[in-house]
Amino acid sequence: MSSYERLFDIPIGPQHPALKEPVLLNLKVDGEHVVDVGVDISYNHRGMEKAAEYRTYVQNLYLIERVCGICNIAHTLSFGTAIEGLHGKPAPERAKVLRVLAEELERIQSHLLWLGIAAHEIGFDTLFMYVWLDREISLDIMEAFAGNRITSSYISIGGVKRDMTPEIAGKMLKGMDKLEGRMAYYRKAISEERTVLKRTQGVGLLGAADVASLSAVGPFARASGVAVDVRADDPYAAHELVPIKVVTGDGCDVFTRIMVRIDEVVESINAIRFCLGHLPSGPILQRLPRRVPAGDFLSRVEAPRGELTHFVRSDGSDKPYRYKIKTPTFSNIPSLAKMLKSTGRYVVNIADVPVILASIDPCFSCTARFERIG
Amino acid sequence: MDWALGLVSLLVFPGFALMIALSFLYEWYDRKLYAGIQMRRGPLYTGPMGILQPFADFIKLMSKEDLTPRHADRRVFNSVPVIMVALMLTALTMIPVTGASGLLSFSGDIVFAIVAMTFFCVLVFLAGFSSMSRYSIIGAERAVLQLLGFEIPLMLSMVGACIFSGSVTISGIVAQQSGLWNLIGPPLLGFAIFLIAAQAELERVPFDMPEAEQEIVAGWLTEYSGRKLALIRLARNLELIFIAGLAAALYLGGPLGPSTDALAPVLFPLYFIAKTLFVILLLAFMKSIFARVRIDQMVSFAWRYLIPLSLVQIMITLIWRAL
Repeated sequence: MSSYERLFDIPIGPQHPALKEPVLLNLKVDGEHVVDVGVDISYNHRGMEKAAEYRTYVQNLYLIERVCGICNIAHTLSFGTAIEGLHGKPAPERAKVLRVLAEELERIQSHLLWLGIAAHEIGFDTLFMYVWLDREISLDIMEAFAGNRITSSYISIGGVKRDMTPEIAGKMLKGMDKLEGRMAYYRKAISEERTVLKRTQGVGLLGAADVASLSAVGPFARASGVAVDVRADDPYAAHELVPIKVVTGDGCDVFTRIMVRIDEVVESINAIRFCLGHLPSGPILQRLPRRVPAGDFLSRVEAPRGELTHFVRSDGSDKPYRYKIKTPTFSNIPSLAKMLKSTGRYVVNIADVPVILASIDPCFSCTARFERIG
Repeated sequence: MDWALGLVSLLVFPGFALMIALSFLYEWYDRKLYAGIQMRRGPLYTGPMGILQPFADFIKLMSKEDLTPRHADRRVFNSVPVIMVALMLTALTMIPVTGASGLLSFSGDIVFAIVAMTFFCVLVFLAGFSSMSRYSIIGAERAVLQLLGFEIPLMLSMVGACIFSGSVTISGIVAQQSGLWNLIGPPLLGFAIFLIAAQAELERVPFDMPEAEQEIVAGWLTEYSGRKLALIRLARNLELIFIAGLAAALYLGGPLGPSTDALAPVLFPLYFIAKTLFVILLLAFMKSIFARVRIDQMVSFAWRYLIPLSLVQIMITLIWRAL
């Protein structure tokens, strides 16, 4: 070996245009090829779990909602389910269906947001702008339905805060028809555009065996043919009533992940239509005591990014004794580290790194809990 | 008085001042088009319809702090922006604006145009390499790799136009098109190849790998800031005019068009502007309907399709001429 070093480091992050949140991917590159990668996700530790111990359960509702802005419904749903589970009093039937409705609406806007970002990462800004314009349809419906575009505080302990009205239901159905048309258009446009195919097919390969052994979750795992979906595996809220098809693909690459997410949006549209047609009558909220019985509860929810786990331990007071959150991004990081390493015939270019990173739909601000992998 | 007139035409019209003014106008036009295709509004507030936005950006950058990295090769790093602007202003004197010939016209000036474009890429490489930043070095490497891909088809498409017109001067090619534009027959293929290669020369999507924002921050531009960045942006806008003007001269009949002797000094520059805006319209469409390809994909695309196609184009042109 001469003094001339062939490999050198390219740090992607903690601040980088490809990243929306701080993370460090320390790439070791040989020319354009990534040889090795180190992932450091501990740049945004926000101390939320500790903060939850100092707040009452009602106050925590608003804290937990802010763990992640994009999947706030999933977080509050998980929190609400856990507290109701400790009380042993599940939410009223109508509230359960409304929760599914809100959750699926959130999935639509989150997947559309992701689709735009994926397009941006491969330099296709026109698609990015188109998708985000259509995302506004779902956000407008969310605002009319839940009261706000993103952090809506829609789900409460013991039910939901707002009831569904016929006007909103009509608006929602109209919006769903429009979105369904747009999704068919994107499906066709993306699978026919040559440059998109060139940048996504065969990129970020991770087989089903690896996905299962690295315990990946969400649309990312489903795109490798592993049918993990909490909605089907362990139904919560009204999911045992709402028929849901678990969308899987077997391409194991970024392109399949795009397609799986587009199909999931269509599935969510169908679920929303079903919920609107099968909305039971009755109360939407039941009052629960401020003090929560002592005990442990673990609740699982299928957030847009994958399985979201909340654990709460109560000591019988009005504050949780311990609160623990495991976000889907955290489960997918070992897979990310594996995907970013070139091995044998599988070559990762620097140009592929942003879109491979985006393909797990990362949300690092929700994840940071002092861990280092790679 | 002759030298005074020459000085005015060099410095004001149709020389440097016009070109710099047009460079801001064309950037605005490009941005507006790109925004329109994406269903956005684009620049809106500075001047009517945001037309002064590129100029405001330039002034703002000029007043910003100008940093030079400690480990950079200072002399190269600092001189590249100035050389870029000077090179492009020099090359622009060859572009015909007011008549069949530009300010400067000599036998083989088309060769100079090719050299100017290649030299611009060499400057990009120097800029990236002298920055001594990881991102800049990767960007510079990509710029050179890209040069291998697009330079040959760019040259061959221009050679095709030369053969078709039977001249190696830009003014000769323009004068030959006073009747019929070079779009009829084999040069149409050359025009398409020229536009694709120009997209790479101008580093625009789908060939903007040397400065791919999502991958390597700003590529070879990463360490530039303030005045130097303002000058580089100016040089690249001038390059856009240069390429659009060259395309207009080689394939669209340059500034020539229906006119009388008295109206020619007014109409010809207007024709020039209209034709270059049309070329930029095509370039903006190409920019907005593709995703960015990878550098290896770009080079293999160029060698598999673009270069054989441009050779075929030359062959057809020769046969066409022989008939």
